Amino acid sequence: MTDTLHSEALFRAEQVYVSYGDAPALWDVSFHIQKGELVSMVGPNGAGKTTLINTVMRLLPVRSGRLMWRGEDVTSLNATHMCNRDVSIVPEGRLLFGGMTVEENLDMGSYRPMARPLKEQTLERVFALFPILKERLWQQAGTLSGGQQQMVAFGRALMAQPKLLLIDEPSLGLAPSVVEQVFEAISEIHKSGVSILLIEQNAARALAVAQRAYVMEGGRMVSMGDPKELMRQPHIRQAYLGEAAHE
Amino acid sequence: MNRQVLTVFALVAAALACLPMLQLPAFYESFLYLIFHWVVLATSWNILSGYSGYFSFGHGAFFGLGIYTTAVLSGKFDWPFLYTLPFAALVPALFGVGLGAIVFRLRSLRGELFGLLTLAVTFVIATIILNTPIDGGPGVYLSAVPIPNLGPSPSATFYLLALALAVLCVWVAYYIYCNRLGSGLFAIHDDEDVAEVQGVPTLRFKLQALAISCAFAGVAGGVHALFVSYVTVSEVFNIVVPLNVVLMSVLGGSRHWLGPAVGATAITALLYAFTAGDFAVVGRATVGLTLVLVILFMPEGILGQILKRWRRSQKPPALPKPIAPAAMTIKGAAGEVLLQVDDVSMAFRGVKALSHVSLEVRRGEILGLVGPNGSGKSTMVNVISGFYKPTGGRLLLDGTDLVPMPAHRAARSGIARTYQIPKPFTNLTVLENATLAGMFGGQQLSRKLAAHQAMYWLEFVGLAERARALPSELNLHQRKFLELSRALASAPQLVMLDEVLAGLTPSEINHAIAMVREIRQRGSTILFIEHNMRAVQELCDRLIVLNYGQIIASGLPKEVMQDPAVINAYLGTSQS
Repeated sequence: MTDTLHSEALFRAEQVYVSYGDAPALWDVSFHIQKGELVSMVGPNGAGKTTLINTVMRLLPVRSGRLMWRGEDVTSLNATHMCNRDVSIVPEGRLLFGGMTVEENLDMGSYRPMARPLKEQTLERVFALFPILKERLWQQAGTLSGGQQQMVAFGRALMAQPKLLLIDEPSLGLAPSVVEQVFEAISEIHKSGVSILLIEQNAARALAVAQRAYVMEGGRMVSMGDPKELMRQPHIRQAYLGEAAHE
Repeated sequence: MNRQVLTVFALVAAALACLPMLQLPAFYESFLYLIFHWVVLATSWNILSGYSGYFSFGHGAFFGLGIYTTAVLSGKFDWPFLYTLPFAALVPALFGVGLGAIVFRLRSLRGELFGLLTLAVTFVIATIILNTPIDGGPGVYLSAVPIPNLGPSPSATFYLLALALAVLCVWVAYYIYCNRLGSGLFAIHDDEDVAEVQGVPTLRFKLQALAISCAFAGVAGGVHALFVSYVTVSEVFNIVVPLNVVLMSVLGGSRHWLGPAVGATAITALLYAFTAGDFAVVGRATVGLTLVLVILFMPEGILGQILKRWRRSQKPPALPKPIAPAAMTIKGAAGEVLLQVDDVSMAFRGVKALSHVSLEVRRGEILGLVGPNGSGKSTMVNVISGFYKPTGGRLLLDGTDLVPMPAHRAARSGIARTYQIPKPFTNLTVLENATLAGMFGGQQLSRKLAAHQAMYWLEFVGLAERARALPSELNLHQRKFLELSRALASAPQLVMLDEVLAGLTPSEINHAIAMVREIRQRGSTILFIEHNMRAVQELCDRLIVLNYGQIIASGLPKEVMQDPAVINAYLGTSQS
């Protein structure tokens, strides 16, 4: 990748180093996301993928390195600032406000001032993606099934009117038919012009929907490229697609 | 229990007991009396509230009951003072057990509400005592009660009484800390429901802790009644006692047996140093400020902080050697019915999560349970583990119905589970988490042996290197394997694995599949709940599909997965 690509990037991380206490979690990580792109991160558990997404959302402090959002240095900002700069997150394990209704959860998504006036419109968009939510508006979010909760998490993130959506493990604990629905929704959201950074254990799926993908191992970026190319590499097939070495 | 600790403890107690021989002015003995008095009150509070997390503001009530028991028996009925003390312990202990028997059963009365309730109880008791002949208003005088001659002077007598009580109380706190009761209380502190499902008899443990706590507060009250020699309701049942014991324990460190004693000594000494003359206000302000600073900068209390520093400077003690558990005793032949779920229904406020489900789990098999999200799989696990009581039906484990039993009995008879969203005890280390399962599950091991076996299971799931870490330092994947190691450490006849593979990469799944096979090899029967169809196909002998709380298909995995109803409800048209 060339520098010209870099300068156009929507989001860019430069040699980022993150640690939990003394334990390093990200080493010298650089990557970027172009406007309108769907980028997937694959790698084993403990590679630092969730740490990476939380770093982009500015939920974790950076030891060294730089984070750039549309040309602005956002390294020292916090999650509220990022939300106000059109970045939102569908976190690992959904993290809904369990005691609130579906409607209130969605409402919380449009908390930022810029999203407020567009609330009604966005709500329609969310219902178009996940019609079941319209029926469940007054149900307590904690009592929904896992699949419906994941839909609320998506809805809540979309209510903030993001330009970049960070999605962490969307298929975690979901039935196969619901996984399909969720991935259809991701494609829909992407088509509507939102850039996406996706983390997903099911590497085959993650690579199938992505335009570009990175591979992480042990807190480092180990490769980057076209998903179809990556899927052909024997190392990737073996490590992430679960093919036995002897096959 | 540590022999070194006991020796130091005995030496300190003996040295303090010799103090009256120095013939110090009475002032010093009275000052030390007050310190020991507060040591007893704070330590006894901590046995319930610090260990189990049930923050009580009712310590003043138990203390007051002890005071009035002694005051009435010796002041009004002329009993010899020492004879009244056992009753000063008994009355509050019985009262505490009575209160606990009601309050501890109610799930809604955990946390702040428990604290408020105990505070309210204090004022109810105060009102009753004030308006009945027990006190009636004027207070009770004990000035005519003879002080027993335990020491060379009255002040020495009080000193020795309080010292004996403090030594006993701290020793009891230490004993509990080192034993099953302590482990169980710390588990209750972090997650009571999980503790119960792991085999901790939560209700009994809470009652025991409360009874011990009340008894010590009561005796301390009994001695104090004679010490002050005139008791009134307004002096006894005010906010001072409940507030002080909380502050002292938090200041010293409420997760340690000695913490409250340290806090009590510090606060009493500080207050005493400033009570003379105009400095009383300064004294209170200093104490207040100290507390604010300690809570801000030493959340684990003075002692907690010191121990943390000290442990960091030391080489960490060696981890227990992993010891493989003995081969499981399998009560029946493979293929026999281990668990029979007979016509079980479960409804939440009229919403049916399970309706008339009947199935059999056969010994030695891996039975798959699949279905859409919200179809009732997790509810099934919660019902079998005893956490939910079904609204109808029976659960026969080896012929015994589990439904009427409390959940910890199910754990003891050999049922273990993992949680889909991991629920480790957050303040216990990885090793302690796994150890607890061995102590309270199907095996009922000693803490030491349980720790050795826990190491074995941590190695089995690949977490041995993180044995000393807190669960919060693990990632989701590791926390899931901690769940698995806990379930295994209890040597279960039946283990229910609730989506242990979710969030693993395909190659990690291969590894986990091998692990599940080995668990079966060791003699456990497995109920396997999973969305990963590859794993289900590879592992399960039989498969049951739930939808809307009912079984829609069951049989061999290959056949079931081609059933049109299953494809329609669960798998979707293009299988992944």
